[in-house]
Amino acid sequence: MNAALYRRMLKVNMKGFMNYAIGSAFYILLMFWLYPGIAQNAKAIDDLVASMPKGVGSAFGLNGFGTAEAFISGEYYGLILVLILAVVCVQLSTQLMAKLVDQGAMAYLLSAPTTRGKVAFTQAAVLTTGLFLILAVTTLAGFAGDAWFLRRDYAFDTAGFIRLNTAAFLLFFAVAGIAFLVSALSNDEKKARGISGLITFGFFSLDLIGKFSDKIDWMRNISLFSLYRPGEVVNGEGDMVAAFIVLAAIGLVAFGLAIALFRKRDLPL
Amino acid sequence: MLTVQHLTKTFSNGKGIFDVSFSVAKGEVFGFLGPNGAGKSTTIRHIMGFMKPDQGSVKVNGRDTWKEQGKFQADVGYLPGEIAFVEGMTGKTFLDFMADMQGIRDLSRRRQLIERLQFDVNTPIRKMSKGMKQKVGIVAAFMHDPKVIILDEPTSGLDPLMQKVFIEIVLEEKVRGKTFLMSSHSFPEIERTCDRAAIIKDGVLIAVKDIHELQSMQRKLFEVTFEDAAEAEAFLHSGLPVESREGNRMRVAVQGDYDRFVAETAKYRVRNIDIFTQNLEDIFMNYYDRKGIAQ
Repeated sequence: MNAALYRRMLKVNMKGFMNYAIGSAFYILLMFWLYPGIAQNAKAIDDLVASMPKGVGSAFGLNGFGTAEAFISGEYYGLILVLILAVVCVQLSTQLMAKLVDQGAMAYLLSAPTTRGKVAFTQAAVLTTGLFLILAVTTLAGFAGDAWFLRRDYAFDTAGFIRLNTAAFLLFFAVAGIAFLVSALSNDEKKARGISGLITFGFFSLDLIGKFSDKIDWMRNISLFSLYRPGEVVNGEGDMVAAFIVLAAIGLVAFGLAIALFRKRDLPL
Repeated sequence: MLTVQHLTKTFSNGKGIFDVSFSVAKGEVFGFLGPNGAGKSTTIRHIMGFMKPDQGSVKVNGRDTWKEQGKFQADVGYLPGEIAFVEGMTGKTFLDFMADMQGIRDLSRRRQLIERLQFDVNTPIRKMSKGMKQKVGIVAAFMHDPKVIILDEPTSGLDPLMQKVFIEIVLEEKVRGKTFLMSSHSFPEIERTCDRAAIIKDGVLIAVKDIHELQSMQRKLFEVTFEDAAEAEAFLHSGLPVESREGNRMRVAVQGDYDRFVAETAKYRVRNIDIFTQNLEDIFMNYYDRKGIAQ
């Protein structure tokens, strides 16, 4: 870890983090604002969802509208947040490694008395910090929304909401790790973005398509995203702990591999 | 101070550098010349530890630049050939960042350098001209008072006045015992600063020459215009190698033998003299091509 580099990189990227974080916070507040109106008609909407083909509801994570956290988990954590964070992972991981190598600015980082291992570790820490910040702001906005719009009139399971955010963080820690690994091995910024984008959105699509029907359920088994089931997490069902451990392990291994391989490779600087 | 030993690196396309060895002593300025694609940058990348040698090693102040990352850089200042900075910074924030990375507290050298190179550090880097970026890069390479300074095309983009200032800075640092490795295309720059120079071609080091030897190899074309045709005619028989003639104007190629040229020319009335110098790579290439044919 290189403190000077960490501080500078956070500063350079803070505006981007905050844009995503504030966007995410506003969206979740909007959800909370909408919820009381929906809750009153929860029964009717649940019936409507039930009348749709079975796959559609499960694909988009529609998790019932009976409780606020179930509504949020379906409407926000099921799709929109996943897309936002997937974009953040691909963009930021590319910016932090491959872009610096492609443009040549990495030469300056490595001409200072530090090691490649430290530089790569620091950049990985910046990426993780960014994800953490975005989800922390989103979580806080959720609590604010609860206090502001739901008050005591509607039930809100705080523990379930925190579990939900933990699950999202761990999923994207793993996704970021893989994207970072691609970025650390690339000399070309566009190629790095293309490959990590393909992997991330490929996994995402496999999971989404797999959910439509039981017949193509196998697709989910090869996707990282199947380890993230916001509906089950918020309801406290399924083997959550195992999924959490697997996601954390994938992330750690991918980041570790990225740092180890970056130390040994030739850089065209 | 800087030792390159049997450095070999072969790329998948068969190009690369092959068994490159040279060493630069403390307080010496060493020029590094060669056409584009000859292996200058590849050698410099190995010196900076950006690439792993297939064979051989590079040592700066006794430290291996591949194996001892994190330590050797404290002695090295580096100016890349193609300068790229981390985005979203001004000159000042970049230099602050580099000072932070290098762990230096004393910013007095930096202030002096900025003053001498005369540029506004508060300009955002993306709005800077090529020359201005080059100045920021020069400050970053010198400000931590390193023992060895690696400069890749240091004066590209600088105006003649600033090139002069830069050469002065290099000479002052040389007197203070700094060691330089400098790749360049500009003869005046090499001539005024370097003690020795190496030429690299197709990945192979062809020669390491003393700068005086280099100067004697440089061919200059003098274009002399005489007062009248008779004098021009007489000059033709002086035995000097006249390359071309156009009325009273003669082109004479001179290589090292300035004394004789001046003596012969002074016998006649001269209206004008122009001078054309060969660029450094041409001199080297000509010299070695001719030698290659002769053997």
